Amino acid sequence: MEVAIEGMRFVRAGRDVLAIPGLRFAGGRTTALLGPNGAGKTTLLRLIAALDRPETGKIRIGGAPVRHNGTTRERVAYSFQKAVFIGGTVRTNLDLGLRLRGLDARTRSARIEEAAGACGIAHLLERDAHRVSGGEAQRANLARALCLRAPVTLLDEPLSGLDGPARRQLLGDLPGLLRDFATTTIVVTHDRGEALRLADDLVVLIDGRVHAAGTKRDVVLRPPDVLSAEFLGYTIIPGEKEVVAIAPGALRPVPGEVCFTLNVHEVVDLGTHREAAGAIGPVRVSVPIEGSAPDAGAGLTVSAAAASVIRFPKGDDAANV
Amino acid sequence: MAELWDGLREAIRLVIEGDATIREVALRTILVSGSATVLSLLVGVPLGYVLARGQFPGRNLALSMVNTGMGMPPVVVGLVVWLMLVRSGPFGGLELIYTRRAMVIAQFIIALPLVAGFTAASIQALPRELPDLLATLGAGRVRTLWLLVREAHLGLLAAVMAGFGAVVSEVGASMAVGGNIKGETRVLTTAIVTETSRGETASAIALGLILLAMAFSVNLALTVVQQRRRT
Repeated sequence: MEVAIEGMRFVRAGRDVLAIPGLRFAGGRTTALLGPNGAGKTTLLRLIAALDRPETGKIRIGGAPVRHNGTTRERVAYSFQKAVFIGGTVRTNLDLGLRLRGLDARTRSARIEEAAGACGIAHLLERDAHRVSGGEAQRANLARALCLRAPVTLLDEPLSGLDGPARRQLLGDLPGLLRDFATTTIVVTHDRGEALRLADDLVVLIDGRVHAAGTKRDVVLRPPDVLSAEFLGYTIIPGEKEVVAIAPGALRPVPGEVCFTLNVHEVVDLGTHREAAGAIGPVRVSVPIEGSAPDAGAGLTVSAAAASVIRFPKGDDAANV
Repeated sequence: MAELWDGLREAIRLVIEGDATIREVALRTILVSGSATVLSLLVGVPLGYVLARGQFPGRNLALSMVNTGMGMPPVVVGLVVWLMLVRSGPFGGLELIYTRRAMVIAQFIIALPLVAGFTAASIQALPRELPDLLATLGAGRVRTLWLLVREAHLGLLAAVMAGFGAVVSEVGASMAVGGNIKGETRVLTTAIVTETSRGETASAIALGLILLAMAFSVNLALTVVQQRRRT
């Protein structure tokens, strides 16, 4: 079910928090809403879920305008960033949304078992929801949204608050879970790696404006402006007439198609490999090195393949592409 | 000292034998204070919810007024209600002064800020995201209010205890608007004042014991419910 936004503006305390002339989240696909903290990502999810009202503009889900009543909310499942529970067991919490949607006891029980099993919390169903660990709570939070099997699933930072191993495990499980339980999914994240792992499509939102939107491949390989390129991990090197953006990991310590001189500050041993850390002009850059290490203060020739380099005219920070 | 012991002995005898007048006054107390507490819950819980979660101009002022009201002297409430209900007052035509209904009104006004204040505090103590979560799960406004009230039950039971405790033990307002009429508006607290002024120490102590036992029983029952739900 497609989610479409037209001419939308949302203002808070006199400030334009969101201004989106037009944006579509394709039906049946997973879109990552990527942007730095404070970009308006969660606000956009809340507007889609009819928790807030835009100043102007329309949001449509499957062609029907979002309404601030049960009709919209029945089409949307929302997993909040913070796992919050009502008093009772994990099962009680998973059951609540299904009960409020009027499903019979047998269907509810089957849905709960299915989602809890897939999310790896079947053994926690009879436990007090307030007494599970952070990782378990986040999985229960996710299961509560997924068991609704809503046409649109909204996930706000589903991996927040998880430590390394738990995070990696859930990140590995999430694509399969979304395939099995969700149709159209919008995932909010500020982590590029998470977005690339989970999404088919990417929307880059910075300071309330859409800077890039499209398939993951298009957005990553051809970010339309400097800000989105920077947020996607490109190394940005400003020049006199243009700004050069170099794809993440494309810089090598050898001469090549597009060359730069790295002024080496130090060589950092990262255990598995070493990096020459320094600056190209005013921009701090690190490049993996092999063999003999350059001296601090030396100039190291680094390069990137022409296909990995995008040149933007200076002053290009266009938004709402 | 001897007078006190004699009084206590007499009080215990009156309680055990079940003096008809004392029983009648005790029942009237439960009826008046119970009604005022129920009414204050019906108005105070939604009011507390709105104060806790609502976003409207003057919210802080309203919260401050409620918090001030929590410590309002009952006799002042009694005076204001008396001025409203007395024959020459704006609501004198309703002929409520010196009736049990006037006492319920005064006690309702005493209990309302306590119930609203405790409700607001306990709702505000819940996770900020909870109302939004319930809304996205499909709960309408009334259902959301009910579910939040259920989540905040520990604080709400404290609100009931505070509200009932305040009205069952107050004397100034009941005396002012009820008039302490024997067989009509005399409740335990006003009866204690009357019996003391008449030198009937035993009766006064008996009434005091009953009042204490009544307040303790209600609070014991509510505490048991509160603590059972907590575990």
